[in-house]
Amino acid sequence: MALEDDALNLSPREAVPAAQSVRSQKRRWKPALLLVVILVFGGVVVTKFLSSAIDYYCNVDEVGVRSGCEGTRRLRVQGAVDEGSLKKASGMTIFSMSFNKKTLDVQYDGDPGGVFQECIPVVAHGRMVNGVFLSDRIEVKHSNAYSTKNKDRIDKAEAAACSLPKL
Amino acid sequence: MNIHPFPSPVDTPTGTRASRGLGIVVFLSMVLLTLLGLVLTDEDVVQGSTVRLMYIHVPAAWVAYLAFIVTAIASAMYMWGKQHSLTFDRIAGASAEVGVIFMGLSLVTGSLWGRLTWGTYWQWDPRLTTTAFLFVTYVGYLAVRDLGGSHQQRAKRSGVVALLAVLEIPLVHFSVVLWRSLHQKASVLQPNGNVTMDGLMLFTLLFGVAVFTLLFVWMVLHRQRVLTLADAIDDGGLEAALQERRNEAN
Repeated sequence: MALEDDALNLSPREAVPAAQSVRSQKRRWKPALLLVVILVFGGVVVTKFLSSAIDYYCNVDEVGVRSGCEGTRRLRVQGAVDEGSLKKASGMTIFSMSFNKKTLDVQYDGDPGGVFQECIPVVAHGRMVNGVFLSDRIEVKHSNAYSTKNKDRIDKAEAAACSLPKL
Repeated sequence: MNIHPFPSPVDTPTGTRASRGLGIVVFLSMVLLTLLGLVLTDEDVVQGSTVRLMYIHVPAAWVAYLAFIVTAIASAMYMWGKQHSLTFDRIAGASAEVGVIFMGLSLVTGSLWGRLTWGTYWQWDPRLTTTAFLFVTYVGYLAVRDLGGSHQQRAKRSGVVALLAVLEIPLVHFSVVLWRSLHQKASVLQPNGNVTMDGLMLFTLLFGVAVFTLLFVWMVLHRQRVLTLADAIDDGGLEAALQERRNEAN
C-alpha cells in the first residue's frame, strides 16, 4: 500500500540543479548566439550588396553620361586595355581602355601585376582628373574562355588575350 | 531493467560494404583528378597555372548547390510526407553540413584565384556577395537545427528555413547575368549552349564535378547515419530518465 502511495505521490520534488540540464541550457544558448551573429553578418552582406554590388562598375562609354557614373566622383570603370597602348614610365603604368567605341586614358601608380596585359578587360578604381583617369587600383576581369597553352600555340600565346572573345 | 541508451559504434558502424566500395572509388578518382589537374592538363593561355584552381573551385560550388537542393527536397519530403519520417530530416541536415563545407571550400579557392587573376582576394561584387550570403544562410540553418526541442520540432523549424533558403541559389547562379560582376560568366552552362573551354580542360572539370558529387554522396551517407545514432542517443537518454523516475517511484 505504501508503495502505491509513493507511486501516486504527485507533490513537487525538490529541484535538484542537474548538471545535465545546465549543460543543455548552455548548449541552447550557443546556437542562439551564433544565430544572432549570423543575422548581423547577413545584414552587413545585404547592405554591401545594395550599396556596392548591384552597380559594381561603369563602362567606359558611360563615364559622365549615365547616372551614378559622374566624372566628379570616385568610380570603378570597366573596359578592355587597348592593344599597343600599354607603357610603363617612372613607376607609372599608362594605357588606354575602351568599351563600345569610347576610349579612356588611364594612369595607374604602380604595376598591376597578375595577368594584367593588353586586350584584357579590367576594372580601374579611381577619379577623373583633367580628362585622365587616375587609378589607384586595377582588377583584371578575365574572360570565361579557357584555352590551353600547348606547343602548337606557343607562338600565339603572347597575343592570346587579344584573340580571346571580348566580354 | 537495464537500459543501454548509447548505441555502440562497434555494433552500429556507419559504413556498409557498398559505402566502403564507394569510398574506395572516390579515393582513386581523387588521385586521378589530382593527376589530371596538376600534371596532364596544360596551362591556360592567359591565366597560366592559376587555372588549375578551377578544378576544385567549380566542382566545390556545384556540390554546394546540389547539397542545398537535396536539403530542400529532403525537407519537403519530411514536411509533406505522410509518415513525417525523421530520416528525411537527417538527410537534409547531413546534406546542409556537407554543403557548407563545400561552399566554404569554393569561397576560399575562389578568393585565392581572385588574388592571382583579379589582383584582390575579395570584392563586394554581385557573385561574391550573393555567395557569401548563401553561405551565411546555411550556417544559420545549421544553427537553427541545433536550437533544441524535440526531433520533430527541429525537423519542422529547419525544414521551413531550408525551403526558403534554396530560393537563393538561382540568384547566386544568375547574379553574373543579372548584374555587372567582376566574376566571369559561365563557361559551360551558358544560355546559348556554347562551351568556351578546350577539350582536356573541359574533361577534367566535368570529371572533377563527377568525383566531387560522389564524394558528396559518400559524406552524406555517413553523416546521416551518425545523425541517426546521435538522435538514438538523445532518445535513449530520455528513456533512461523516464526509467529513473519509474525506479524512484518503485
